[in-house]
Amino acid sequence: MHGLFRWSGKWWPGVIPLVILWGFAAWTSTVPLEADLAQRSTTALKDTVLDKRRIVVAGRDVTFAAEAFSEEGRMSAVASVEAVPGVRLVNDETRLVPEAKPFVWSAERDVVRVTLGGSSPLPSSKSKLMEAARAMLGGVEVSDRMNLARGAPQRFDNVALLLLDQIAKLKEGKITLSDNKVTLSGMARELGGREAIAAALKNLPEGYSVAANEVKAPPYIFQAYKDPVAVTLTLTGYVPDNNAHAALVAAAGRKFFSEKVVDNLKASIGAPSGFAAAVVPALGALSRLSTGTLVVSDREVKLSGDALYETAATQIRAGLGKEFPQGWQFKPEISVKPTAAPVDPTVCQQLFTDLLGKARIRFESGKADIVADSAGLLDRLIETAMRCPNANIEVVGHTDSDGEEPTNQALSEKRAQAVTDYLVRAGLPANRFTSVGYGSTQPIAGNDTDQGKAQNRRIDFVVR
Amino acid sequence: MAYLTTFFWGWLLGSLLLGLAMGWISIVQHGEGVSKTWKRWLAALAVVLVAAALSRVVPGRFGYWLDLGLIMFALYLCGCAVGSWLRDWVVSRSAPAA
Repeated sequence: MHGLFRWSGKWWPGVIPLVILWGFAAWTSTVPLEADLAQRSTTALKDTVLDKRRIVVAGRDVTFAAEAFSEEGRMSAVASVEAVPGVRLVNDETRLVPEAKPFVWSAERDVVRVTLGGSSPLPSSKSKLMEAARAMLGGVEVSDRMNLARGAPQRFDNVALLLLDQIAKLKEGKITLSDNKVTLSGMARELGGREAIAAALKNLPEGYSVAANEVKAPPYIFQAYKDPVAVTLTLTGYVPDNNAHAALVAAAGRKFFSEKVVDNLKASIGAPSGFAAAVVPALGALSRLSTGTLVVSDREVKLSGDALYETAATQIRAGLGKEFPQGWQFKPEISVKPTAAPVDPTVCQQLFTDLLGKARIRFESGKADIVADSAGLLDRLIETAMRCPNANIEVVGHTDSDGEEPTNQALSEKRAQAVTDYLVRAGLPANRFTSVGYGSTQPIAGNDTDQGKAQNRRIDFVVR
Repeated sequence: MAYLTTFFWGWLLGSLLLGLAMGWISIVQHGEGVSKTWKRWLAALAVVLVAAALSRVVPGRFGYWLDLGLIMFALYLCGCAVGSWLRDWVVSRSAPAA
């Protein structure tokens, strides 16, 4: 032992290469050691749920910053880093995720995307909600604005998933969950969507309640477009049920005598009351236009287009609103089609014959009252009469052979007179027209079939 | 410590061998050794450094370098002791024969 002490006095020269060796060891080992420790620490925290995790290693000291979701979780995370072999010190910069009071979560839908905002209790529930949103909304962009916070109410995930299901039923709007109160606003995607959402909200877990549900139903829309080029009437939008559907299409067929009716209507609940009573006269007004669009949105009727002559425009503007049930609004945007070029009386006669070949002026059975469905045809006859201002026109009434001849004679005269009166009211000079009735004396078809009788009940225009 | 030895056994072995060699040489080396007073000061310095390492007061990379240096130095001293003892044993065994 004494010898060792004595010899040790001569050991110092080796310290010089030792220091050099030390220098090399420090030079080459520091960075790999730090990388190894960082990797081991990260592995140790693999199963711990943390947010904003950051691990910085200097030498063998680990600076560990993170946000934990509970005090136990925070302590155990620090302990697992301390337990990593080789770690000398842990600079603990961990803290708890802030607590949200009240705990608010929201889902907002606009035209292009769905934004999830507010707080979410755990990264796992956050990703679960994002995945569910993507799956439910199929193709719609989902944007994640959620942050993490403590203090979520019980069964938060289930409730948020249920609410996400509702956002899929909205066209636009926002659903907010504040602690355990749900607030909804916006517009349902489809008719009936509002009712479906209200029904689904009944499945909220116990303790949750709906503070406000201001989801609106989308407007109940019915549209008709009269295309003069394609000679079609296109019906789109909703009708209350199949009966109303059939009735509307039949009415359109009667009013639009030359157009083909293209029927794209769908039956849906949610129609405003008095729907058919408003739409049928509105279709009648549309039939009087040369081109036009009818838009019925909830209880607002918009009719735009060109009337064939000035008086028709005035009649439509003033008259249609009066025919509507109470609470309905009428917004006419009627202009007048430019007057067509004048033509020879012979051309006029040809035009009259063409028009009356396509449809007949119709009257109430056994009476001389013109049926409203004939307004479109009469407007076209009036427009034609205006194109030959110098021609005198004989309005001729005919009936079928049913009933007594004197009665038929009188009826044919009255009907011819009713048409003449209509023309005069439209602004044509009375002295251009004479009305004549021939009863059933000039049939154009056999009176032995219903079809033949229908052809015989007619008004003809003869240019003199 | 166990982690460091497995991670850097090469460098540590190097210091041990260096110590063995130095210890081997020092027995037959002529010349002045370190004086008693110096030894005390150096011992005191070593104690201070060990205390600093154990109490972990030196932070970060410097702390690591201190630990590394002290371990290498300790192994060097062990090597020196074993080397000197072996050489002394060899010398004292061959001396009577000569």
